[in-house]
Amino acid sequence: MRVFPLSGRVLEMKKYAFKLPEAKHVAKRADLISTISEGNAVTVSAAPGNAMTFPRLLEKHAAARGDRPAMREKDLGIWQTTSWSQVRAEVEAIAGGLAALGFKRGDCLAVIGDNRPRLYWSMMAAQCLGGIPVPLYQDAVAQEMVYVLQDADVRFAIVEDQEQIDKLLSLMPECASLSHLVYDDPRGLRKYAQPQLMGYERLTAMGRAFNATHPGFFGDQIALGKPDDIAVMLYTSGTTGKPKGVSHTHAALIQTANVLVAFDGISENDDLLCYLPMAWVGDFLYSYGQSYVTGLCLNCPESTDTVMECLREIGPTYYFAPPRVYENILTQVMIRIQDANPLKRRMFHYFMDVARRVGIRVLDGKQDIALMDRVLYGIGELLVYGPMKNVLGLSRIRVAYSGGEAIGPDLFNFYRSMGINLKQLYGMTETCVTVCMQKSGDVKLGTVGPPMPGVEVRVAGNGEVLVRSKGMMKEYHRQPEASKSVVNAEGFFLTGDAGFFDTDGHLVIIDRAKDVGRLADGSLFAPKYIENKLKFFPYIKEAVAFGDGRDQVTAMINIDVAALGDWAERRNLGYSGYADLAAKPEVYALIAECIGRVNVDLAADPKLATSQITRFVILHKELDADDGELTRTRKVRRNIIAEKYAVIVEALFSTVEHCEIEAAMKFEDGRSGVVRADLKIGVAKIQASDQATSVARKAA
Amino acid sequence: MKWLGAISAELKVGPFIEVVLGGLMAGVLYSLVALGFVLIYKASGVFNFAQGAMVLLAALAFARFSEVMPMPVAFLLAALLMVGAAFAIERLVLRHLVNQDGIILFLATFGITYFIEGLGPQLFGDNIYRIDLGMPKEPRIILESMFEGGILINLEDFIAAGIAAALVTFLAIFFQKTATGRALRAVADDHQAAQSVGIPLNRIWVIVWSVSGFVALVAGMIWGSKLGVQFSLVLIALKAIPVVILGGFTSVPGAIVGGLIIGVGEKIAEVYLGPIIGGGIENWFAYVLALAFLLFRPEGLFGERHIDRV
Amino acid sequence: MSANAMPLDANLHRREIGSVILALENISLAFGGVQALSDISFDVREHEILAIIGPNGAGKSSLLNVINGVYHPQQGTITFKGEKRHQMNPHKVASQGVARTFQNIALFKGMSVLDNLMTGRNLMMKTGILQQALYWGATQREELVHRARVEEIITFLEIESIRKTPVGRLPYGLQKRVELGRALAAEPTMLLLDEPMAGMNVEEKQDMCRFVLDVNEEFGTTIVLIEHDMGVVMDISDRVVVLDYGKKIGDGAPDDVRNNQAVIDAYLGVKH
Repeated sequence: MRVFPLSGRVLEMKKYAFKLPEAKHVAKRADLISTISEGNAVTVSAAPGNAMTFPRLLEKHAAARGDRPAMREKDLGIWQTTSWSQVRAEVEAIAGGLAALGFKRGDCLAVIGDNRPRLYWSMMAAQCLGGIPVPLYQDAVAQEMVYVLQDADVRFAIVEDQEQIDKLLSLMPECASLSHLVYDDPRGLRKYAQPQLMGYERLTAMGRAFNATHPGFFGDQIALGKPDDIAVMLYTSGTTGKPKGVSHTHAALIQTANVLVAFDGISENDDLLCYLPMAWVGDFLYSYGQSYVTGLCLNCPESTDTVMECLREIGPTYYFAPPRVYENILTQVMIRIQDANPLKRRMFHYFMDVARRVGIRVLDGKQDIALMDRVLYGIGELLVYGPMKNVLGLSRIRVAYSGGEAIGPDLFNFYRSMGINLKQLYGMTETCVTVCMQKSGDVKLGTVGPPMPGVEVRVAGNGEVLVRSKGMMKEYHRQPEASKSVVNAEGFFLTGDAGFFDTDGHLVIIDRAKDVGRLADGSLFAPKYIENKLKFFPYIKEAVAFGDGRDQVTAMINIDVAALGDWAERRNLGYSGYADLAAKPEVYALIAECIGRVNVDLAADPKLATSQITRFVILHKELDADDGELTRTRKVRRNIIAEKYAVIVEALFSTVEHCEIEAAMKFEDGRSGVVRADLKIGVAKIQASDQATSVARKAA
Repeated sequence: MKWLGAISAELKVGPFIEVVLGGLMAGVLYSLVALGFVLIYKASGVFNFAQGAMVLLAALAFARFSEVMPMPVAFLLAALLMVGAAFAIERLVLRHLVNQDGIILFLATFGITYFIEGLGPQLFGDNIYRIDLGMPKEPRIILESMFEGGILINLEDFIAAGIAAALVTFLAIFFQKTATGRALRAVADDHQAAQSVGIPLNRIWVIVWSVSGFVALVAGMIWGSKLGVQFSLVLIALKAIPVVILGGFTSVPGAIVGGLIIGVGEKIAEVYLGPIIGGGIENWFAYVLALAFLLFRPEGLFGERHIDRV
Repeated sequence: MSANAMPLDANLHRREIGSVILALENISLAFGGVQALSDISFDVREHEILAIIGPNGAGKSSLLNVINGVYHPQQGTITFKGEKRHQMNPHKVASQGVARTFQNIALFKGMSVLDNLMTGRNLMMKTGILQQALYWGATQREELVHRARVEEIITFLEIESIRKTPVGRLPYGLQKRVELGRALAAEPTMLLLDEPMAGMNVEEKQDMCRFVLDVNEEFGTTIVLIEHDMGVVMDISDRVVVLDYGKKIGDGAPDDVRNNQAVIDAYLGVKH
């Protein structure tokens, strides 16, 4: 049910002084963008919330800024623009076609495919007719779609291509109600004879004919729509049990979007590249929702492989991505730098050091920066950051968000130090994403920021984060029980995440509420939070923290051979394999240092100071899914590990310095055997909590 | 330490700029000749020793034609002559040597060189001929307010550089944007693949030799206008060899940058080192520079590093 | 094998197979004393996918080179689109609408994907060199028309992301796809593919199969291909011709060929 598993964090950007690269950028794009009408910006005040529905917003934009671009799509290598009035005409045609096929108010329309303009328009057409668009993940296999199609009682589907049609056709026996399948791209489908199939062109032709004989139909349908009608149903994958259809009303979505608009000053002059799955609440709200609320232009990439290139050409001003996308971009940068000539490489590293030192403070508008640093940063902007942002298509970014999961501190700081206003946010499908968000100029690493305006956030006695706002979902489709069970008596939504507010009122998400334990003295113990902090070090591959019901916290570490091997090589440290490397005193010292730094972090927060890691062991073998120690998605199975390595756990909580262990393991060739090892117990440095707090403050 | 003093005494900004500018002007012409080399080498793998002779032939033809007809017509005729030469070379020489070793083709261009050196004067006479392009000859002094005594420049040089730049730009666009340019690049990249998509090799060779001839004509006109058309043009063309070594045999930008570096380098060496070592550096400086490059960076500044795969 | 990996029912999508477009009659080809092909006859019909299979050295590539006009058979006749051929060369064959790919990729490694595809349209470019030098009117219009067509092929082959990448930097599988693209750029009526899937992993093979089928369906292109992967051959071809030691030993639908004793023998290495 959660969209943002651990903590969503968002980055944001401010207006930056990258005038120079920007000018270059625009010049480069000029030949690619065929028709950007740069007419006078029409200011339309954000929707007066309550009476609004998405179809009415469409009508408004078509009237107020009919000639302005609503959508761009790269087709045959050229960006083609569709204006708001063209979009309205297209939507009307789709709606007419659907109506002619018998689409009724309250019907669901499944939408499956990559981010294509026609699919976005189809969602709007369904909304205009009082229906409910149900976007599905395009890469789901057919069987995964069955439940949703049945649950939502889908009769109509508009999909991208043959791949999706093939999937739906294979499901016809199970989904009896599915009766009309419309496809956008006819490639490979010309010979399909199934009566349910229809191309997009035929649908819209039918629609135009229908509209001609039913004048006023489209407008009447829009007028019938009410703000508290369901605007969309987004199915959450659900780690346990069946997916649930989260139903949102027009009012809730528009309200949430308006909050965001006010928060970061999003306007019709922003540009956005939509490439995240349409079934994700993030895309629905941040692309579709924002576009209709503000009138900004959505840009659809040519294909999933060209996102980077399209990013460069469009130069979005507003950007939303999960951390892995930011990570990919960084990897690309590093690869390029490694291939660059030594001069460029040295320049890059030199100025990245400068950026690390002062970049974030420049971004936050701090005044106390030495003149020399300012000058160096300025030169860096000219020589390194600017050109790099230009190549990555990030030079016009005003605000960038990261959400979906926690972003690593190095990654986060890399972007921020280059002057990209990256911010974390926290939320989930049920709350229309937006629960907490970091404010521009006030971004605290490791937190997801304070609650958004209009959102009430409470931390329950058990540490669970509770949320109440106008942007809440209406219900889980056809699951009244489940709908009731996630809301408490006061109307707060139970997120299932455990967290706390730090001293500045920023929310810190630490773990799933059910995984959070207590130390013997009753203080909070959040194993996953601690483990993630450990895993942010490149040398630590896996970590398991123990402490529930104990008087202290200890940890079991798996080192990352690739990263550490490199490290060992640079120190001329010979080793024969994982176990050998893991037992080296130098490695123990290194890991102890990493843990010491985590302890400093933990000590900085009074609620977590007791969770500092006292003793640790570097395991002699890598945790492995084949041995049942990890899930197939590489999540630690804490209980199984505690049971299997009970001897080690006991040793960790005693005072011994060694511990002998016999462990059964499966070898790669399928044989199984017993491995014996004598493991050393390492001791980490602990911060006295009060002092630690103030020291850490200063350090920060 | 005396010579250091001598250098610093000479190092006044104004005169230094004059020297650099002078070097750049000479460099532009080296670049043009080197460009001819590179074009042919890329497209056919032939190291065309005859490039210098082609400069001479083109300049001679233009000089004599322009005596009896208007300049544009003379220019067109000379260009046609170079195209004709390209046809003849392809038809009579290259076509018969397809798939021969590079050294054979290189020697063939030696033959072409001597043939042209003999034929040119035979056809057009062996005096020194003047070319008057009508460019202003008188030197000007500029930037007097910035430097003591100002900077002495030759307007003719500037116009010549402008013409050369225009030619290079034109060629660059032609190669990047047109179908023929694409075909030329394709042939330069892989002969066999080019044939398989229906690009006729013979025609491409004619085109590339014609383009080279055209470049030679422009270079010859400019040289001729400065120094008069005479046999020594062939020798000047030899300067292009260090240029392509410096820039890389396969790189058009390399030819241009290499030409400029050598032009400026030898002028600076002549003016500032000359008095100490005793003059004449201009004659051998380029070759020493090329030798150094061969030792440390044999692929040149912009050339493709050659890695033989096992 | 890939039989399961290809969910498409190939025949469902296929255009109607038409009349004979290429006929080979009694073709014999010898190099010096070596007989590469002896007395080979078969037809290729419009819109079909025909696979040529056989053990190494069976003469498959030679046969493709005969069709392509590279080799001139000492005996036999070739009739293409109803016309008997005389004095063929690859250039002429290409202008009749036959394009091909090579066993060893023959792309321009230093040029971008886009430029490589554009060279595929070389034969269709009409404006002369002088006009091109001026880059005026007709030339520019022509360039745009060709570029648009090439962009369609780029979309078709899903190589948008590498449009501007120099071919030499691409992995092998993608280079093969670009080479197919360059052949398609010539808008051929017949496409000769020499081991289009050699050296590819399973996923790349699947992609290539899909493209071959889609080319056949969308453009109605007749396809003659040499392939070693029997799974692929049985999956996508309408008909299979089997060669062994330069002789034709089988010709028919994939299932018939699979059960043909001579073919089984050839593949198991039974002496003749």
